[in-house]
Amino acid sequence: MPIALAPVGQTLKVLKVTADENTKRHLEDIGITVNSEIQVISRSGRTSICLVKNSRLALDGNLSMKILVA
Amino acid sequence: MKRFALAGNPNCGKTTLFNALTGSTAHVGNWPGVTVDKKEGVYKKGSEPISIIDLPGIYSLSPYTPEEVVSRNYILDEKPDCVINIVDATNLERNLYLTTQVMEMDVPIVIALNMMDALEKQGDKIDEKELTKRLGVPVVKISALKGTGIQELMEKAIESSNEIRKGKTVLEGCEIWHLINDVRIALDGQDIENPLFHAIKLVENDEIEVAMHQNTIKMVEEFKKTFENELFGTDFEALVADARYKYISKYYSPLMSKKDKGVKLSKSDKADKVLTNKWVGIPIFLAILFAIFHLTFSENFLFLGGVLNDEWVSLSGTAFEGLFGSGEGLASPGVILFNLMDVITATISGWLGAGLESITSTPWVLGLVNDGILAGLCGVLSFVPQIIFLLLCLSILEDTGYMARVAFILDRIFRRFGVSGRAFIPMIMGFGCSIPAMVNTRTLADERERTLTIRAIPFFTCGAKLPILAAVTGAMAMAFNIGSADLITYALYVVGMAVAVITILIMRGTTQRGEIAPFIMELPAYHAPGFKGLMIHLWDKTKHYVKKVFTIILASTIIIWFVSNFRWDWTLISDPSQMNESILASVGKFMQPIFTPLGFGSQLGGLGWVFAVAAILGLIAKENVIAGFLTLASVILAMFTVQPDILVNAGVLSPEILSQIEALIASGEFGEEGYEVVAMIAATGIEWPGLISFIVFNMTTIPCFAAVATAKGELGKGKIKWTLLFWIATSFIASAITYVFCTMFATWSTWSIIVSIVIIALMVFAILGIRAYNEKRPLKSK
Repeated sequence: MPIALAPVGQTLKVLKVTADENTKRHLEDIGITVNSEIQVISRSGRTSICLVKNSRLALDGNLSMKILVA
Repeated sequence: MKRFALAGNPNCGKTTLFNALTGSTAHVGNWPGVTVDKKEGVYKKGSEPISIIDLPGIYSLSPYTPEEVVSRNYILDEKPDCVINIVDATNLERNLYLTTQVMEMDVPIVIALNMMDALEKQGDKIDEKELTKRLGVPVVKISALKGTGIQELMEKAIESSNEIRKGKTVLEGCEIWHLINDVRIALDGQDIENPLFHAIKLVENDEIEVAMHQNTIKMVEEFKKTFENELFGTDFEALVADARYKYISKYYSPLMSKKDKGVKLSKSDKADKVLTNKWVGIPIFLAILFAIFHLTFSENFLFLGGVLNDEWVSLSGTAFEGLFGSGEGLASPGVILFNLMDVITATISGWLGAGLESITSTPWVLGLVNDGILAGLCGVLSFVPQIIFLLLCLSILEDTGYMARVAFILDRIFRRFGVSGRAFIPMIMGFGCSIPAMVNTRTLADERERTLTIRAIPFFTCGAKLPILAAVTGAMAMAFNIGSADLITYALYVVGMAVAVITILIMRGTTQRGEIAPFIMELPAYHAPGFKGLMIHLWDKTKHYVKKVFTIILASTIIIWFVSNFRWDWTLISDPSQMNESILASVGKFMQPIFTPLGFGSQLGGLGWVFAVAAILGLIAKENVIAGFLTLASVILAMFTVQPDILVNAGVLSPEILSQIEALIASGEFGEEGYEVVAMIAATGIEWPGLISFIVFNMTTIPCFAAVATAKGELGKGKIKWTLLFWIATSFIASAITYVFCTMFATWSTWSIIVSIVIIALMVFAILGIRAYNEKRPLKSK
């Protein structure tokens, strides 16, 4: 499921990132790679604040739909 | 001199370390992207002086935003003698990701393990000796904020800089190491420097590298045909990123021993539950913004006006009368600062004036100094403390880490207008000064978004425009008895922001169509603003304003005085009735007609050309508007206190205006904020809709020479002429609309109602037109 719909407070695994090439590379650089751990710590609407490698990342709603986790 | 470069993730403390090393006062803030250009300083405490270069924060050496290109190019092309890689110890894995990339270059490296104080406070530990061994480069524990470990760091760095270091990678065990090594050998054969680094970037399909090594990329493409990984396919960049993180968590992360295992919600997370909440986040932000402007401008602080005793508030009868409040209520801190500075500048200029009179009695010298220079300069200087106060409030917001949150909560709304929430940070910086704000747009990844933001930044009323708002609205409130000045000021700030939103919407629908950039931002932990940092920042800003006052504004006031007191044949105007014969008057009258649709053009009688002159002078620097006003006002006042009748007889002033001014002088209001402007209003017969339109014009037109130069540098090639045209068009349209609507509400005259209806019809027509056009020609999706 996309990050935008994932349960808050659970440790999840990244399955796939479907964003465009540049954005995908940037996400990989800041630690959102396939199989890496991610946790949603709060959400308003579809926009999410996620915990990635001990830092808090804010992601907009569209992007939150493009990061698939399980 | 040796050169050491500071590199690291955004917001990891590079600039704090830079300031600690060099004694500089570079701007530090608590959000990613404060430093957008490289800065140089000198470290003098060691055995030899060393040049230190602070670079913008980067997450990786594959740049995502324009400012990241600066860092990559510096390390690669300028070849520093040592790279000091700053690693935020509280976020080890993500920070070491960059380290694994820097290590691939043939450059000496020292790791500064920063924020050790914060880490130890959490009860966590890092085995830095073992980390040094495993990384193969020196690791030094420091706290840039507290200044600990810095000397040792520099000793290690000097030591390392004397040695030659070969690039090393953590990718040796990974599946595509063969390919990387083959490419490396090929590049080495072409005598390319840093072959290992370039080989890996090339395999990662990095845009810049592919363009540089057209021939070698074929090797990678050939290899891809025969390769298949079940997880990543042939997506080598993902494979490489994954390999790096895996290596880090296998070999480096275990060296950190955490007191609390697992993730716990920090205080910052708890604060964010409220501050970034869907429903209350935005109201809280608006309340904070209002509070800032209320603290800066209000003459009725905390709305206590009706409650408190007027005499007590205004301290009438004492030496401090009016300093801390007036009939309206208690003054806010910003207004008190203005009042104090106004008293100081008035006292000093009084002394200077008296001193001058004891030396000379030549009328033109007295006129030049008293009416020309002192009136103009003191007027602008009086506002400096109030401007600094506004900047202080904004700096506190920056320092706490709240800005990044606001960018996040505004993203949803900004997206509807056509930009991402990231654009908010340069925009709010625009309330201080447009120039750093425009430079900061380098943190925006999308080219169109940068263009839009740079164009909209001047609509966020900057510090130099603050005196125009404060003085003109103050004078308006006095001259026309309408409401309180601060409410008009707030409204005008909102008008500026509305213009920004509307123009962004229009550009997104026409010249700058395209997808909106995604919003990805790291939210730093909140911390209390540091006193020292704030003071350093404010001192820098104060210097900037004061320098401007004594250079460009001083020159302008002298020129204004001369051209308003001389005729074209260089004869001094001795008789006030000939004021309209001056060089300035003839230029002003020539320009006047173009401002007629805006309400401060040919419809004004007598000295009405001063508004045209002020508006034009404002294009150089916005402080010139008020400086110019004050210079001209004191020239005019000086003249008719001598011979008012001549002015009337010569037709310069109408008898009604003269009696108004005389009443003003008699009322003793000369001494309150904006009285010169009141005199100006009286002398020109301008009505309040014209004045509002005049302010709106100054707020939305070409900001100043310096900002134009910055915009030219920041925008892509050939865009500056369209941007100038855009600013001119926006200011004319916005102030013409303001004038017509205000006139309608003021008079309800037939023509104003008709014109208003026509304007609304045109706007509706334009919106429908843009929509129809966009539906007909939909954007090709990427």
